[in-house]
Amino acid sequence: MSQSGADTAAYVELKGINKHFKDYHASKDVNITIPRGKLVALLGPSGSGKTTILRMIAGLENPDSGEIWIDGRKVNNIPGSERGIGFVFQSYALFRYMTVYDNIAFGLRIKKRPEEEIKNRVKELLSLISCEGLEKRYPSQLSGGQRQRVAFARALAPNPQLLLLDEPFAAIDAKVRLELRTWLKEMITRLRITSIFVTHDQDEAIEVADEIIVTNQGRVEQAGTPRELYMHPATSFVAKFIGNSIEVKNFEQFRFFEKSGKDTVAIVRPEHVRVFKKGESVQYSRSVEEAVVEDIIFRGSSLEIRVRLHGNLISSSRSITDPMIEIGETVDVFIYTLFLVDGDSITLVRNQSLKEESVFI
Amino acid sequence: MKVEKDKGILKYILILLSFTFLAVFLLLPLFYIVVTALRDGITGYVQAVTDAYAVKAALLTIRATFWAVAVNTVVGVAAAWCVTKFAFKGKKLLSTFIDLPVTVSPIIAGLIYVLTFGRQGDLYQYLDAWGIQIIFAVPGIVLATIFVTFPFISRELIPVLTAQGTDEEEAAALMGAGTFTIFRKVTLPHIKWALLYGVVLCTARAMGEFGAVSVLSGHLRGKTNTLPLYIELLYQGYDFTGAFAASSILVIMAVIVLILRLVLEQKGKKDQERNR
Repeated sequence: MSQSGADTAAYVELKGINKHFKDYHASKDVNITIPRGKLVALLGPSGSGKTTILRMIAGLENPDSGEIWIDGRKVNNIPGSERGIGFVFQSYALFRYMTVYDNIAFGLRIKKRPEEEIKNRVKELLSLISCEGLEKRYPSQLSGGQRQRVAFARALAPNPQLLLLDEPFAAIDAKVRLELRTWLKEMITRLRITSIFVTHDQDEAIEVADEIIVTNQGRVEQAGTPRELYMHPATSFVAKFIGNSIEVKNFEQFRFFEKSGKDTVAIVRPEHVRVFKKGESVQYSRSVEEAVVEDIIFRGSSLEIRVRLHGNLISSSRSITDPMIEIGETVDVFIYTLFLVDGDSITLVRNQSLKEESVFI
Repeated sequence: MKVEKDKGILKYILILLSFTFLAVFLLLPLFYIVVTALRDGITGYVQAVTDAYAVKAALLTIRATFWAVAVNTVVGVAAAWCVTKFAFKGKKLLSTFIDLPVTVSPIIAGLIYVLTFGRQGDLYQYLDAWGIQIIFAVPGIVLATIFVTFPFISRELIPVLTAQGTDEEEAAALMGAGTFTIFRKVTLPHIKWALLYGVVLCTARAMGEFGAVSVLSGHLRGKTNTLPLYIELLYQGYDFTGAFAASSILVIMAVIVLILRLVLEQKGKKDQERNR
């Protein structure tokens, strides 16, 4: 691990957190460590308890048991307003009867800062979010992207040490969302503020976050960098959830793969599969299998090819510059690797023909 | 095309029906009030309206209305606020009880207070010891009016507060704003028009309250007679001119409230469109 000490020290820590909403167990023994200065995603399907975790860190909910630590301080009994956090709500929750200026100034006015300082800070933030000239507008007169930026500026105005964002991109249309993602990552990296955001969109989490915490049914399934989650899923849930994974039961029928356990299933990801036009494959010509193309989806920069292999619909991506493949065509398929899931143990298995080749070379 | 034509006919039938209904049940009676009030000429009308008892009754009505509206504004806002913004046990019960006065007959409301604060009630001895008289006195009238008009303000506010959600309040609280600041800066601007509208409705209802007040007032002329009670008194005494003249005062007050309501509605609509 890194030796830089303070930089990677735990900034936010949740220890043995449990939370119930009446009979519903929303958080089950949650343990999380978030290092200082990192941008962390809480990723999970809806109802997996990710927002509950965020709201408990903010002090908007109280855990039934367990401890919350922020910056070396146990904050269970400290109100959210004194935890040094900024919170961006999913719906932004901008004060709709206040102008943009008053919205951003609100937190500073509560803190009774001199009006001159407030003015400078608001000006500074408006230029940071490239919204100069909008200070007299009301939230209803802003576009979705502008509202999101103003909400971001309002949360940042009192100089919080920790920024919490609840589904920050959910309410924005697809094109602006991509821009904002990049923008937000840049902003947060530039400001070096520890940030946690909630999302159900794995692309968003993988693209934006330094680290991802995957939640499912109130539990933390796995925490790690996007690469770690991709390469070494710790639980079957993560293996299935991350990537466009397809579950295959009869994988022993695939060439050069063997059945190991009785209840073992395999997870196939598109990036582990290659589809070749007949005769196109030179390298693996001895190891490929034949399959029929059932569907081709145009993805703009690439094509998603879906083939039927031993009854399973397997996806693979193919460059648009490669020779054309048509629906109904018989193609050669080569599977590099599979994740084998047996209960909660997960193993990455390579195609055996690759092993043989590597031995010979 | 045929469908279009049919729709046109239906539209006119509905319009005609509504106007006829309004004319027969509303405009005609109002017209008769004016006609009967002026039956003995303008002088008779002026005399009836400026009668000392009539003036006192009108003033008492205004007084009772003022207090009822003031109390209900404060309590109504508090009730609506806590029902919509907090989660607590007995919340459903509370919001059901808020509606109770609408379903209970006003006369029963009056009787309840007689039983509670009257001679046979347990509280009477304490009140008496403090020299407080509620039954057959002005406080009783105010109490009855409060009871009957209680739901008007909170019922206007609850839907608006529910629609707003709690995000903005939470955001303000996370920035360290106190409860009062949150109410003043975040909640109040949002409910302003609904609140004013509720106040207007409450005022209109409070001015006309008869049943509950009738039980509690004791009908002391010049002391505990509100305008509606005074009108009934004159009517029972076959003084039609007086009764209808007094009624016209109430009608004028109602028309003023109605105009206020229209103005508020228009302004509120504009304001809301701006801040949608």
